[in-house]
Amino acid sequence: MKSLTSFVAAAALMSGISFAKEVKIGVVLPLTGGVAAFGETSKKGLEVAHEQNSKLSNGDSVKLIIVDDRSDKVEAATSVKKLLDKDQVSVILGEVASSNSMAMAPVAEKAKTPMITHASTNPRVTKGKKYVTRACFIDPFQGAVMAKYALDNRLNSAVVVTDAKQDYSVGLSKAFKKAYEASGGKIVKTVLINSGDKDFNAQVASIKAANPDIIAFTGYYNEAALLAKQARNMGLKSPFIGADGVGFPELVKIGGKATEGFMYTDHFNEAAAASAEAKAYVEAYHKKFNGKTADSMGALAADAYGMIIAAMNKCIADKKQSDDKECINTNLRSTKDYKGITGVITINKDGDSVKSAVVNAVKDGKFAYKTTVNP
Amino acid sequence: MDFSIFLQQLVNGASLGSMYALIAIGYTMVYGVLRLINFAHGDFMMVGAFLTLFGYSAGIPFELSVLLAIVGSAFIGVMTDKIAYKPLRDAPKISLLITAIGISFFLENLFIVLFGATPKAFNAPEYLTKVFHVGEIYLPISVIIIPIVTVLILTFILYILYKTKYGMAIRALAFDIPTVKLMGVDADRIIMIVFIIGSSLAAIGGIFYAVSYPSIDPLMGIIVGLKAFAAAVLGGIGSVTGAVLGGFILGFTEIFVVAMFPELGGYKDAFAFFFLILVLLFRPTGIMGEDLERSRF
Repeated sequence: MKSLTSFVAAAALMSGISFAKEVKIGVVLPLTGGVAAFGETSKKGLEVAHEQNSKLSNGDSVKLIIVDDRSDKVEAATSVKKLLDKDQVSVILGEVASSNSMAMAPVAEKAKTPMITHASTNPRVTKGKKYVTRACFIDPFQGAVMAKYALDNRLNSAVVVTDAKQDYSVGLSKAFKKAYEASGGKIVKTVLINSGDKDFNAQVASIKAANPDIIAFTGYYNEAALLAKQARNMGLKSPFIGADGVGFPELVKIGGKATEGFMYTDHFNEAAAASAEAKAYVEAYHKKFNGKTADSMGALAADAYGMIIAAMNKCIADKKQSDDKECINTNLRSTKDYKGITGVITINKDGDSVKSAVVNAVKDGKFAYKTTVNP
Repeated sequence: MDFSIFLQQLVNGASLGSMYALIAIGYTMVYGVLRLINFAHGDFMMVGAFLTLFGYSAGIPFELSVLLAIVGSAFIGVMTDKIAYKPLRDAPKISLLITAIGISFFLENLFIVLFGATPKAFNAPEYLTKVFHVGEIYLPISVIIIPIVTVLILTFILYILYKTKYGMAIRALAFDIPTVKLMGVDADRIIMIVFIIGSSLAAIGGIFYAVSYPSIDPLMGIIVGLKAFAAAVLGGIGSVTGAVLGGFILGFTEIFVVAMFPELGGYKDAFAFFFLILVLLFRPTGIMGEDLERSRF
């Protein structure tokens, strides 16, 4: 190794060219396990963004090192450690699930390495952290959007279904309840499930007894699909509203007809892509993946990547090294009006991004765009 | 809780309990004969569900895929015994137990490599997913079929055990393997039959599970297997009737805990295992178990 380095150094000296550096971004994603579907599309979006732009303004190239954490908290934290110690990355990008990002954040914080999560919406992910930023909106906002949309459609009583194992779901339920009750909605019952469980018949029976106008489900797609199916099997007809955790094709594949009409808030819908950035991204995505729908996880990952590149370029403009962690972090945290794929992103003092949300609903087995809600 | 909801939960509990029971029978029979807690048993159930999906999506009719999956799982069960357990017949029991855990990891990861770790949709044919209304009660057809099939299978197993020569040999093996061998009985053949029965029942349980909860993944056997094991212990490990009883008790406990305390629904597994501990405190050999060393089925 040493001889190789000296060889390269010697070659550089002899040719007299100043070598362009390689800046490494460490990516932690759930590529297998419970929420693997989110990890896979995040990776796809990231690949598209990387192909669109893999060079910094001074010619340095950007390298992605992608690690699978098997949808596991402990593994997520270990992956960050590995990326820092072994691969010497300058920035960490990830994770999807809030529980996993929360396990990663302290490791990045301790190493004073900037971390940006593209899709973890729980407020606690960035809370009190100096080096953690996010490209997505947070659950209090998402919960408020869910509540507002339900009430706008005159769905005035709700049962809240929370996945007790997921920090994401617990936080989102709290946010939904608060916003829903503040605007005059009535929460008639709260029901708990566990991700990984498959039998929700007992929960369905108790929801049925409460007979709500709407069921607010705050967990992930797998449980959403099974719950919807068992609900419809038992003649429970109340509509469902979920959040960004359910918006995935598997919802319809597993749940079938039972998911028809399932509403959910999301970060992005390619049908509503208006800006030039969004259009260019969707086009590149379709080209690379044979017309597959560009989903929100991929778009968010691409935005997180774009924000990192912008921060690095700003460091270069300020005559600093492109891999200066402190500089990258300061720039990431002061991102303002970044024109991203999922909307215009501004990072507030907590490191959270302030931006719009879309509402979608399942129609004929497809995710149809309903409306956009601004903060 | 009004009466119709109570009935609804009763039906749901019977269906869930049946699936645990089917898997628990295999645990208990293998334990009865080999004194081995076959931790790979939960994974046979996953294998059954995946083989069915595999056949079905390759265009083979559903019924035939089910049959092939059962045969396939039985084959994998027998091969597991031949390759992994048989060389260890005279080794300490702990080596056998650790081997079983190894087989379990192997099967799980093999299926992750083959099929990927993302949950797969299991879309059973229309006639199995139909729902009947009886007054206020909703009965998916699977909920009716599953307990009936379970009871039929139990009757069949008890018939084999108590009315046939093979059954007599299995019961004799449970007492004392060397003596039975001295009597001229081919012990390995009988053990093979036990594995065939156990793995096919696990596969049937797995297929029922997939029809009821149509999302399957390579790790689905872990927690269900654990609960079926708990059911077998609850009923008295080594006793077939006990395993079925334990399965039903566990199924009903889970369903009714959630039904009566919906806000505690996230802790239903804790309740199931708490109940297990409670029973074992008063009857360490389980409900039907008489003696840990000499099971009588």
